[in-house]
Amino acid sequence: MPLLTLDHVSKTYRTNGAAVTALRDVSLAVEAGRFVALAGRSGCGKTTLLNLAGAMDFPSSGEVLIDGVTTTGLGDAALTRLRRAHVGFIFQLFHLLPTLSVVENVELPLLLAGRSGARGAALESLRWVELEDLAGRMPHQLSGGQMQRVAIARALVHSPKLLLADEPIGNLDTATGSTVVALLRRIARERGAAVLMATHSMESAAACDAIVRLRDGRIEEIEPR
Amino acid sequence: MKARLRIFHRLILRALFREPLRTALTVFAVALGVAVVLAIELAGVAAAGSFRSSLETLAGDADLEITAIGGVPEELLGTLARLPYPLEFSPRLEGVARVEPEGASVTAVGLDLIAQRALGDAQHPSPEEIADSRAVWIGADIEPRKGGVLSLSVNDRRFEFIVRGSLPGAARERVVVMDIASAQDAFARAGRLDRIEARHPPSRPLEHWRQLILDALPPGVAVEPAGARTDENRKMLAAFRWNLRVLSYISLIVCGFLIYNTISVSVVRRRPEIGIARALGATRWDILAAFLAEAACFGAAGGLAGLALGRLLAEGAVGMQAATVDSLYVSSAPAAIELSAGAVALALLTGVAVSLLSALAPAFEASRVAPVEALTSGQREFQARVRVRRDLLAGLLLAVLAAAASQAPPIGRKPVFGYVAALLLIAASAMATPAVVTVLSRAWRKGIRLILGVEAMLAARGLAASLRRTSVLVGALSTAVAMMVAVGIMVGSFRQTVVLWLDQQLRADLYLRPAAGGAGRQAVIHPGLADALEALPGVAAVERFRSYDISYGGLPALLASGPTEIVRRFGKTRFLPGQDRHAILDQLPLGDYVIVSEPFANKHRVRPDDMIALPLDGEPREFKALGVYYDYSNERGYIVMDRGVMLKYLPDAAATSLSVYFDSGADPAVVRRAVERTSADYAVSIQSNRALRAEAMRIFDRTFAITYALEAVAVFVAVMGIAGALLALIIDRRQEMGVLRFLGAATGQIRRLVLFEAALLGLAANLIGLAQGALLSLILIFVINKQSFGWTIQFHWPVALLAGGLSLIYAATLAAALYPARVAVRLNPIEAVREQ
Ligand SMILES: Nc1ncnc2c1ncn2[C@@H]1O[C@H](COP(=O)(O)OP(=O)(O)OP(=O)(O)O)[C@@H](O)[C@H]1O
Ligand SMILES: [Mg+2]
Repeated sequence: MPLLTLDHVSKTYRTNGAAVTALRDVSLAVEAGRFVALAGRSGCGKTTLLNLAGAMDFPSSGEVLIDGVTTTGLGDAALTRLRRAHVGFIFQLFHLLPTLSVVENVELPLLLAGRSGARGAALESLRWVELEDLAGRMPHQLSGGQMQRVAIARALVHSPKLLLADEPIGNLDTATGSTVVALLRRIARERGAAVLMATHSMESAAACDAIVRLRDGRIEEIEPR
Repeated sequence: MKARLRIFHRLILRALFREPLRTALTVFAVALGVAVVLAIELAGVAAAGSFRSSLETLAGDADLEITAIGGVPEELLGTLARLPYPLEFSPRLEGVARVEPEGASVTAVGLDLIAQRALGDAQHPSPEEIADSRAVWIGADIEPRKGGVLSLSVNDRRFEFIVRGSLPGAARERVVVMDIASAQDAFARAGRLDRIEARHPPSRPLEHWRQLILDALPPGVAVEPAGARTDENRKMLAAFRWNLRVLSYISLIVCGFLIYNTISVSVVRRRPEIGIARALGATRWDILAAFLAEAACFGAAGGLAGLALGRLLAEGAVGMQAATVDSLYVSSAPAAIELSAGAVALALLTGVAVSLLSALAPAFEASRVAPVEALTSGQREFQARVRVRRDLLAGLLLAVLAAAASQAPPIGRKPVFGYVAALLLIAASAMATPAVVTVLSRAWRKGIRLILGVEAMLAARGLAASLRRTSVLVGALSTAVAMMVAVGIMVGSFRQTVVLWLDQQLRADLYLRPAAGGAGRQAVIHPGLADALEALPGVAAVERFRSYDISYGGLPALLASGPTEIVRRFGKTRFLPGQDRHAILDQLPLGDYVIVSEPFANKHRVRPDDMIALPLDGEPREFKALGVYYDYSNERGYIVMDRGVMLKYLPDAAATSLSVYFDSGADPAVVRRAVERTSADYAVSIQSNRALRAEAMRIFDRTFAITYALEAVAVFVAVMGIAGALLALIIDRRQEMGVLRFLGAATGQIRRLVLFEAALLGLAANLIGLAQGALLSLILIFVINKQSFGWTIQFHWPVALLAGGLSLIYAATLAAALYPARVAVRLNPIEAVREQ
């Protein structure tokens, strides 16, 4: 069974009466251990797809299944539970909390989920992205690449089966970007997570197992590598 | 100018309309602050303005008043009438009577109806009507109508009068006017007048005529400009009004904190926009002007709203103040509230001035933003943190100054330096707040997550990160808390002091006083009653207490007498430390000696062995003050002499109150019934020891009700400010909240995060406020109260009151966070995170 399934998913936003359809009839399945790129022009619906995949939002029609569970019809608590168990998010702007230290940022998902052993798991996760030395620093004392690696450690800390990265290298230079992409690839390989990465960069997409091309909310083609 | 308007529009107005709720909260806070000040002012004017009632001017405006302690002998009227001057004299006698059968009391005024035009030209009575000793004219409030019979009882006697007409200009007074001779008869005061009023031609100044009259009269008779008594009463009330006024300013101070916060928030948020405006050619002054204009808008809008609100609040306040004035000072009917031009100006000015003053610092900061500057908030907060030390030092310095100011003497009976000390203390604690918040947030940095969970930790970090904003909010709330604590401790201490004092003071079993008449009206009890009571079996002693309203050193005071022998046997009067009660009471009946109450001693700077000059029995006499005793019954202050000594000079045996002591073996219920039976024919009210105590405490609590109302408003303003500030905080941190949702936070956790922020703010504010309030209460009790009212209050922690008040404030703070928490929960995390 695929870890993530989108089954004839459409998404329409309504703002001041005008309807914008961000996704139209999208079907997609991502297996565990796969590293998949989402490519396409700005506004084609990448972020929308990731938000649906991460149980942050509901599709207007169709179904999203995470590890076999459909998100449609779930309440806020159940969605939160689903996210806590299965999903890790990575953002273009890192979104580390400026008031927390590096290790505190990393342990945050575990703390929010009320799990024990947060500190140990956070240090372990930081070791995995090779930043355990920086555990005590504050985010504003890090470089951009370091910040994104801390964010990845944070997304990994609860060992999610699904990792969603929205243009994770959009704010990084090419060299740093490729380290981050390599890291994401390792996550899929070594930890068996399904990794879905939205990106503008063809170069980074080339490192993935498959490229899903979106255009105006539709899947144009799925290019296996 | 046009450019400035555009900047104002772009930078300020648009933002204000984008957050209408927060804008409205700020305006409402200012409105409340202004309203309280205005309400106290209006109510004060109405409550005090009523001393000179229409009753006093019944006989037209007099220029001079001739009075003497114990009344003016009637013969003096003849002496004056024979003077070869163009002066008009009119006698006057007042007393309190009871309308039968309802039992309501009225003021009966005796005037020379033949000579005076008291009743107006229209119904000037015919000589026959006046000659009829049963004719009266009445105020509109009294039944029956014209031609009816009015039954009045005075002491053990009852009189029937015929109503001849109603009084002009005294519509609201419960007053009965009769001829002077009828009044003297009814009140058993033959040959005595309360005062003689004099009118003089305008050809010479008042002082000239005053001297002429004085020369014609024996010593011991005072001739004063009319209204002098009223002025004395006003002066007396001034301290009371001042204290209320100052209390009402606390709400404004709280407002100031909130305006400071609001403008700071808008400056911090619009830093990039300010930078752009500067790059486009706006000068520093333009920016400064724009933010000051924002503050002025809040001030003007708040002032206007406060005007309406204040007028409304004044209705409530005047009732509360009038009750106090009535029970503490002189009886008075509150005048109507008038929204004068001065009051309108006061409201608008205070609103705008407070807003501008509090906006000065943040607006100045805005003006120093460099063109195209968009500093991150991290750097900005860093600057604020660096100043923590400096501010703390400044705070300590201010605290030292406050301590120094509290030691200074009053200026003209006003504890000006006491107020200065209080203000300095508030400023000191505002300066020290960042340091305290820093220390607190360090203290709970580690443990808080383990105890209260991750939401509490996030809340604490958020607060610590925006230290300046947090400090201002804590400052606002802690000032309100401090006021509550300070006034709570002061009133609680005062109350406890009075309870203990009543315990010592009230030793008798029954207390009798004239049924009619409130404070200030010298109704008396027929001497026959005291004699009859003394003869009853089971009665050990009857203490006859007599007091006269006098004027001493330009202030109203009370001259009283009691039987020293009984006081020594039964009473427990306490004297100031170092004074020997036995020696004093032994010496008191032996000659021209007096003891004085503490408020009197403090007001007139009297110490033991000082001489007190009193004009008695037509002679100026000197009495030696033997001691100063604790008394909390009257702020005007007592001069007390032995009853025998007083009777020598003022031979009027009637008492103003009687205290009855029972034999220790007697059955109290039986004796009481006997006393009641004996008193039935006299218009007296009888109260048991317990009832009198309860009444004293009721009056006490009523007096301070208004201070609680003022506190409540200050706390309300602060709590509303917290609500507005939390809203701003959430809008500024919405991205963070959105990210938390992505990281697995449930909506309940977001709500708890906001509630914890409020809880921590409240905790810090309560801690600081408690400390600050305890210090303030010391200033209130030992400086301000002592200097304005002159009594010693024993410090006492009203634990239950404080615990209740603090919990209430705490609950209110949390309640204020409910709406912001809802806003936070409803934020769409996807949109919040997408924003750059
Ligand atoms: N909350 C919303 N309300 C209305 N329209 C929205 C909303 N979110 C997205 N859209 C619209 O949906 C479409 C897809 O947006 P989405 O953010 O998914 O694009 P994207 O592929 O992530 O673009 P980019 O590469 O710029 O991030 C766009 O046309 C966008 O304007
Ligand atoms: Mg996107």
